[in-house]
Amino acid sequence: MIDKKQFFQHFISDIDWWLIFVILILMLISFIAIYSAGVNYGMSFKYLSVQFLAAGIGFIWLFLFAGFNYQYYRHFDKFIYISSLALLVSVLIFGSGKRGTRGWFDFGFISFQPVEIAKVMFILALASFLDKRVEESEKISFLISAFAMLAGHLVLIMMQPDFSSTLSYFPVTLVLLFMVGVKPFYLLCIIVLGSLAIGIPLLETFLDMRLKSLGSETFLTSLAVSLKIGWTGIYIIAAVLFLIAGGWCLLWKFRVKIPIIYPAILCGAILIGCAVSIPVEKSLKDYQRKRLVMFLNPKVDPRGAGYNIIQSKIAIGSGRFTGKGFKRGTQTQLGFLPEQHTDFIFSVIGEEGGWIMSQLTLFLYFLFIWRALAIAKEARDRYGSLVAAGFAAMFSIYAVINIGMVMGIMPVTGMPLLLLSYGGSSIFSSLCAIGILCSIHMRRHTYY
Amino acid sequence: MVWQKEDESDYEAFLKKHKMILVFFVFLFICLSIRLFYLQIIKGGSYRKISEQQRIHNTYERAPRGIIYSADNAVLAENEFSYVALFYPFEQQRAPSDESIRELNKILGRNIKFTADKNWRYGTFVKLADNIAIEEMFKIKEKKLILKDISVIKKPHRIYYYPEVASHIIGYIGEIRADEIEELSEQGYKIGDYIGRGGIEQSYDKYLQGRDGGWQTEVNAKGYKIKSFKYVPPEIGASVYSTVDLKLQKAAYDALKNSSTGRGAAVVLDTRTGAVKALVSCPGFDTNKAGTKDFGIYLKDKKLPLFNRSLQALYPPGSVFKIITFAAAVELLSVDTEKAMRCDGSFELGNRRYSCWCKTGHGEMNLISATAQSCNIYFYQLGLKLGIKNLEKYAKKFYLGQKTEIDLPNEKRGFVPSPEWKKLKSKVSWLQGDTVIFAIGQGALWVTPLQMAYIVAAVANKGIYYKPYIVDRVVDLNGNEVYKHALECGKRADLSDRTWDLLHKALLEAVESGTGRKIRLSGIKIAGKTGTAQNPHGKDHAWFISYAPADSPEIAIVVIVENGGVGGLNAVPVGRKIYEAYFNVESGKEEQQ
Repeated sequence: MIDKKQFFQHFISDIDWWLIFVILILMLISFIAIYSAGVNYGMSFKYLSVQFLAAGIGFIWLFLFAGFNYQYYRHFDKFIYISSLALLVSVLIFGSGKRGTRGWFDFGFISFQPVEIAKVMFILALASFLDKRVEESEKISFLISAFAMLAGHLVLIMMQPDFSSTLSYFPVTLVLLFMVGVKPFYLLCIIVLGSLAIGIPLLETFLDMRLKSLGSETFLTSLAVSLKIGWTGIYIIAAVLFLIAGGWCLLWKFRVKIPIIYPAILCGAILIGCAVSIPVEKSLKDYQRKRLVMFLNPKVDPRGAGYNIIQSKIAIGSGRFTGKGFKRGTQTQLGFLPEQHTDFIFSVIGEEGGWIMSQLTLFLYFLFIWRALAIAKEARDRYGSLVAAGFAAMFSIYAVINIGMVMGIMPVTGMPLLLLSYGGSSIFSSLCAIGILCSIHMRRHTYY
Repeated sequence: MVWQKEDESDYEAFLKKHKMILVFFVFLFICLSIRLFYLQIIKGGSYRKISEQQRIHNTYERAPRGIIYSADNAVLAENEFSYVALFYPFEQQRAPSDESIRELNKILGRNIKFTADKNWRYGTFVKLADNIAIEEMFKIKEKKLILKDISVIKKPHRIYYYPEVASHIIGYIGEIRADEIEELSEQGYKIGDYIGRGGIEQSYDKYLQGRDGGWQTEVNAKGYKIKSFKYVPPEIGASVYSTVDLKLQKAAYDALKNSSTGRGAAVVLDTRTGAVKALVSCPGFDTNKAGTKDFGIYLKDKKLPLFNRSLQALYPPGSVFKIITFAAAVELLSVDTEKAMRCDGSFELGNRRYSCWCKTGHGEMNLISATAQSCNIYFYQLGLKLGIKNLEKYAKKFYLGQKTEIDLPNEKRGFVPSPEWKKLKSKVSWLQGDTVIFAIGQGALWVTPLQMAYIVAAVANKGIYYKPYIVDRVVDLNGNEVYKHALECGKRADLSDRTWDLLHKALLEAVESGTGRKIRLSGIKIAGKTGTAQNPHGKDHAWFISYAPADSPEIAIVVIVENGGVGGLNAVPVGRKIYEAYFNVESGKEEQQ
């Protein structure tokens, strides 16, 4: 064991100061943007103080987590997983409702969203699970048990219901499975399955919307009509399956021998995907489906589902090179921009700070993710690498979906921009995750 | 020790995947950067414009339209103003205070109740009371302190002083339709604007439209006014000076109205310039009723009052077409003017008989007397000699079947038939019988009264055509002339002087001793030609075309009385009334108003 003095020396010299520095600048930008966004609501001071408080508590925990050896999480993975489930169950029982979802613990003066911390716990538990069974990574049973772990969280979150929070789980799980050495082919099948399950209902909604807005006969509308009647869709699926089988036979003739299991799994994935799309379609509410596809053509419904995207694009675009200036963005200050302090905070930066600030923010965010991946590379064991890669994936998925959404190239999902959006729980849990990253980084050479 | 050294091959595999993930994230962030660059740098200008547009809201105060004058500077159309009390939800206030409403009711003596509209959207005024008299307006303005949330604005109304007489040349105005907005929005028209419909109101709309004024305010997403920017007073549209001689217009309208059927058209052109001195279509309609419920009766009226007969109606020209047959014959056949031809009242061609209007026959006729008496038999024979090709050529040489390009909307072009057309349409070839009736202006030949006036004016000018026009100049509110008609005589009908002299002689003869005798006025030489056009749908149309004075022409007049019967008896008296008005000759009868 080492004494306290030595510990502090190591702590100061080994902690990733670059990472901390990038985080601090990002948070500074976030404070300025949140202050400006709050002016319109007359809530600047409240927003800023909540954000400050959360960041302050978060930084304390960041250093606590940095000091704590991450390798213990590996030993207590079952405990972590079960307690994360317990957290999600208890919020269903004791939580209070906000905007139709039951996802908050309300302590009167402060409220907390446990799903934010559950995400971090899930990554810790899943990384440990994968690390311990790395030898079985070729097996399908390995995949199935990993997805069973995922399902536990997803079901509980869907019961709140909080659709957008579940979205980040899939990419994070896929990245971790990829890192641990699962065959890319299986992952491809999973992606095909998932995109069919979500894609078919959305395609239908999109074509439906086009149908209403166009009115006249085009190829798209006639396709939509025939898809609705039903048989065309089945013909297309049958044709795709036939092509796969035919392609496989052809390759076999040319002595490119692929085991029959691969095409079989692929066909299975397609069939299951199509089958799953039916319950998915039923569970998604009409407005949710519309919101998810609206980004493809927001002008269909400029006052309804398309409003957010249109206004956000106007806000970002109108910032031009240098921006309109702090507290001088007309889209922000006059309230055209929706949810400007939370989901659309990047639009505020884009409008008031212009291209310079928004590109800088994007760059800093990437720098942060690059640091996280560098930590994954340098970690002393596979577990550390997996956890760091999982966090890197989580942050970048959130960033890409959120920033893509405000710029109109991703669906409107209601995912916040971690570290920048207003919200105590997400700031706190993000900083905890960064603390764990620091812990992995500090212990890359030695145990403390 | 550490993982990297313990299990090197494993770590190598991990590094490969790590690199792929890193590349994938780099790719995603580059995509985001490209999109950001596209939005802010490439499309930034247009998005900035949109954000300004939705930030600044314009509340329009409608500009009055320009005034339309006649040639003698009488006002034909101008604006009246009424005052409208409005509530504009300023300063986050959704309804006017009860006190204001009470006070307003006291001043106006009405009982207005304000009900907040649930669907209220920003930028909309809520109308509290309209048709406020000017005294009441002043009272409201005096109490500005109490009535601070009520604005009074001036609202222009179009008023026409000669609603029926000049209905077709002036036109009326109506609110812009949704389908028109799409194509007109580029020219600055917006929803709620009034645009001209028919007549000068339509063809000179862009000058008559004033510039709307109003308040420019910065609004937020919910539409509450944040700060007022500025008030721009509306600007009246430019004044339009037409060439219409009100005296002639009124004389023509009244004469047509009192004619046998009360339906018809009259066109008076200045032969020296092409200026429209009068252009009448009877019956007219009350343009002041446009936009009211009463206007609907015009749409149902079987007499089609909204139809501008003088340039939209197509009639067979009948005998008035003989001037063209005449000209063609003199030019191409070298007709001996003295050589007589006998008219027995009928003419046989193949196994069909074509009769003259004078059943007993005119007897011996030469070219001049045949024109004066409008002898059909003589012209049948001319037509046969000329053939359809030459007749068609001369009809086109006189610009039939073409628009005159007058500055009034919806002009019809008329039609000149040809053997090819007939073959195409009815699969039957052109017969000599068709040529025969073509020579006297029947068959599928269609002309507008304006076209005939255009031709008569050209005949008076020995073939020089002046483009007809009704607006001489447009003057904007600062007194600058923004439009001035330029005399245009691009078209000519080139015929020899002998032809013109003979034609003038024949037309003079027709008034002096022929079918147009009823128009003779003491001291003024009038040249003219009557026509009685057969029409498959009913009674004959009565035509009269003429110009005067015969030796130095000033005006050309064309009159058609729809289903009026014989031209010499029904159309000529209308022409006479117009000449009386023009030359200030008392006819012994009481003056028409």
